[in-house]
Amino acid sequence: MSTLKALKSVNGFKRTLLEGLLVLVVVAGAIFFKSTLPGGELRAVSTIFMFIALSQAWNIIGGFTGYASFGQVVFFGMGGYFTAAVMLHLHFSFWLALPLSGLFGAVFAVIIGQPLLKLKGHYFAIATLGVAEGMREVVINLPDITGGGAGISVPIAGTFAKTQYLGDGGFYLLFLALALFALAVGTVVSRNKFGYGLRAIHQNEDAAAAVGINTVRSKVMAYSLSAFITGMVGASYVFQQVTIFPERLFDVEITVLMIMMVVIGGSGTVVGPLLGALGLQFISEYLREHFTNMHTFILGGIIILAVILIPQGLVNYIREGRRTKNYSLLANIRRYRL
Amino acid sequence: MSTVPILETRGLGRRFGALDAVSDVSFSVNQGEILGVIGPNGAGKSTFINLVTGHIKPTSGQVLIDGKDMTGQAPWNIARAGVARTFQIVKPFNGMTVRQNIAVGIMYESHGTNRLSVALEQAEAILEEVGLGGSGDRMPGELSTADIRRLEFAKALATKPRLLLLDEVMAGLRPTEIEPSLELIRKLKARGTTVIVVEHVMKAIVAVSDRVLVLAQGKVLMQGGPREVLADPRVIEVYLGHRYAKRQKGNA
Repeated sequence: MSTLKALKSVNGFKRTLLEGLLVLVVVAGAIFFKSTLPGGELRAVSTIFMFIALSQAWNIIGGFTGYASFGQVVFFGMGGYFTAAVMLHLHFSFWLALPLSGLFGAVFAVIIGQPLLKLKGHYFAIATLGVAEGMREVVINLPDITGGGAGISVPIAGTFAKTQYLGDGGFYLLFLALALFALAVGTVVSRNKFGYGLRAIHQNEDAAAAVGINTVRSKVMAYSLSAFITGMVGASYVFQQVTIFPERLFDVEITVLMIMMVVIGGSGTVVGPLLGALGLQFISEYLREHFTNMHTFILGGIIILAVILIPQGLVNYIREGRRTKNYSLLANIRRYRL
Repeated sequence: MSTVPILETRGLGRRFGALDAVSDVSFSVNQGEILGVIGPNGAGKSTFINLVTGHIKPTSGQVLIDGKDMTGQAPWNIARAGVARTFQIVKPFNGMTVRQNIAVGIMYESHGTNRLSVALEQAEAILEEVGLGGSGDRMPGELSTADIRRLEFAKALATKPRLLLLDEVMAGLRPTEIEPSLELIRKLKARGTTVIVVEHVMKAIVAVSDRVLVLAQGKVLMQGGPREVLADPRVIEVYLGHRYAKRQKGNA
């Protein structure tokens, strides 16, 4: 028995060591690639990093906790506008605005989370969508602070700019750091008490409450943590884009992309959203280059196929396949058919 | 032993619209006691458990745990006060292994470990205890009906309760499968755990209960020793109808 335990702990240690090494190699590779990639490619890879961070953030509330937030972009937009406003009006440095934007999103999530997280399923999804749409209108109607529909520009050079523009390389590193941060948060949550509490809530909220999980507090915390990351990503996006408009920053498409990446990759896992973000961005870029007129059509087809064949997401499909030793897609459809 | 009952209800009631699902239920359980709760379908047994554990808020009356008023408290606060329950319609965490199902309860118990690896190790003993040893790595969906009921039992035990409310954990089990559950309830009693057993299986109730509470149409019909209760004409009447009860009397 004790040898078994020892073996297990060695395996656990080895696993952590391997993961650590893998992260180091990836980070070293990413930094190495930075000097070889031209500007356009750097921006494209930065976008991938951005979506890795966003999909991990969505996964905390939508994947682990099972509350599909269709208005997640509200935190992206609010984080972004917060940064733009404090950098322009109050001459904050970006490095101060960045964590504050995350905090701003997190506090907002705590406030709206109390009533919204009482709703379940579709009702929660629609309510969050409403919050995002509503917030866009609020931003449009506060032109003194937000620039309204005409947009707002962040100072990036000269005496008014506390932080100079980071450039393609700088933003590449910034988004890489955000992606790593989001992945680290996701990994910790997937393995600790809090994360198991969220899963329990997802799988049966009554039973979770019955074993002593404060479901209200856990859900609000998950929502708020998810909003914190999303807000920081929004802030970085705004600084990268310099001039922003409400339509772009509260675009439903950003939420939809996050959700698709998580769902196709495998919600409730850390690797799933990562693969989803990488896969979807690469396929989308490839199709854009090679099928200029048809790329959205083909991408849509691939997504529909993926959702029909493996509704539980790639990673969950592989895990179940390994457990049941059955990789048949037909059996999979049958199992998940509603 | 303390003189304050571990659980006491005073005039506890719940109305759903025009229906009094439970009304004016007053009783108490002392530490270490096993209380059986019986009653025909729709008598309000599950609603009663839900009222005690906070899953449904009462419309009248009080719930006292260790003499402290816990009326209308959230389920997690009741759980942290040392009260655990099972659900009549089992509620396993389907996306986790059996062992992880137990580990969640261990980690969220107020004095429990916060570390997953420790909780997973501790889960083994509880699985062993309910007869699920060796099933730790299986998913709830792969378990038999009997094993699913055992998992429900184990999930409640994971929170180290002082008071355990069992809502028909033996329903649908074969006689040979019931015996180990009864053995476990007796073992819990020996450890000082108080158990409230809601059950349809009369033999099980008679075998373990110190005292039996009979509910009918949401009200307390009577309480007393198990044999005394089962022989009572009022109890026979609510279960089998008044004509049967009369005939029984005539025969006697």
